[in-house]
Amino acid sequence: MVNQNLLLLAYIVPIGLGTLLMTKAGQGLGKTLSGRQPLLKHARRRHMFGLNLVVLAGFVVSVHTLWISNKISEGGNVCSSATVFSCDDVLGNAQYNTDPVFGLPWGMIGMVAFGALMFITNSVSKEPDALWAEKYLNYGKYMTLVGVPIIALLISYEVAMEKICQFCTMAHIANMVCLFGFWRAGKMIEEGQWNDDEAQGINWKE
Amino acid sequence: MKTNTEADVRTDTGIKVMALFFVAIIFLALTTDPIKTGTKEGDRAPMLEGKAYNGSSWYEFDMSDYLTQNWTAGDAEGQWLVVEFMDTDCPFCVRSADDVGYDAEYFMKLRPSHATNPGMGPWDGPVVNFIASATELDIPGHETSRDEIEAFRDKSGDEVCADSACAERAGQSHRFVYIDDIDQDNMKEWKVPGTPAYFLIQPDGIVAWTSTENSQETVFEAIMRITPEA
Repeated sequence: MVNQNLLLLAYIVPIGLGTLLMTKAGQGLGKTLSGRQPLLKHARRRHMFGLNLVVLAGFVVSVHTLWISNKISEGGNVCSSATVFSCDDVLGNAQYNTDPVFGLPWGMIGMVAFGALMFITNSVSKEPDALWAEKYLNYGKYMTLVGVPIIALLISYEVAMEKICQFCTMAHIANMVCLFGFWRAGKMIEEGQWNDDEAQGINWKE
Repeated sequence: MKTNTEADVRTDTGIKVMALFFVAIIFLALTTDPIKTGTKEGDRAPMLEGKAYNGSSWYEFDMSDYLTQNWTAGDAEGQWLVVEFMDTDCPFCVRSADDVGYDAEYFMKLRPSHATNPGMGPWDGPVVNFIASATELDIPGHETSRDEIEAFRDKSGDEVCADSACAERAGQSHRFVYIDDIDQDNMKEWKVPGTPAYFLIQPDGIVAWTSTENSQETVFEAIMRITPEA
């Protein structure tokens, strides 16, 4: 069995790196990486690359949680523990592990949501100046905004169970980072920084 | 000639994202064989949780101790499980306590004969363990406590169960485990509509029979019909 902490790290790294690339702190990193990938010297390319990384990590972690749910239903133990961090206890709890409307596993909902976000971020990355790009970024913002009350509901479940599913938390963090990413992309458009000029300095003071 | 290439980007991306999605679905389909968790026949029973009383002390209950994950149908070696959801102040539960006790003694192979079915020889089927999950229904007068659960199980003490002394309920003291479900956590997770409710669980944790789906059949009859003979 693969160490669950190592797997967790595999999600923390891309989400952390993606977040970094979308913030001021990522400018230096973008400069360093631009030796290998010249496009990363542009602020919006760097931003969209970071957003794509986070969305991809969110999608993969959603697949992982669904896989854990399925494995638990087979009777297996994947990440049970006596500590507060026990995804088996959370994902294996029949009272909370599906959505209350359609009865779908939360992992499946995460897959669909991050799949849709992936379509948005990939499309905008390829054609950032398209007429629909800004509209798509807004859709992404609204989608991740809808995710906020859902995350609150899932956290309330974890509080009720007194257990935390670390992989689910990664998906929640990915959604929140994506919300920031879409909001920040909107701001860049507003501020006229949505171009491939070698503008390194996003106005972070506003 | 004017062409709009923007649509191509979205189509191309859409196809790639869908391909990735289906790769993920295929991966899940090939590596997992999910069974719905629930309390209908064929579902995987949710894990019971809480402190359990075994006649001497309260300890952390772990339902997986009672299960055999690699059990295969027909294997008489695996131990089955009967879960009873009850309330110490529910008159029906008090009245059926003697029958539950007799069944438990017989199918857990603690006694060679069945008290109410004297014609039956020693049980030659698999061991069927019994567990009671004692809850507190939201009905006035049904207030319970761990002391009352102990009194109900052991037929001891001065506690009152359904308007009469727990110590005087019908049947003998029980020799199976009682779980404290006063907060109704297990009852809600198992979607138990009322008490008493019985579930027969296969050794691999799959629900084989429920009293709510088979109201005409007793636990005794269900065990006789469903469990494999040695």
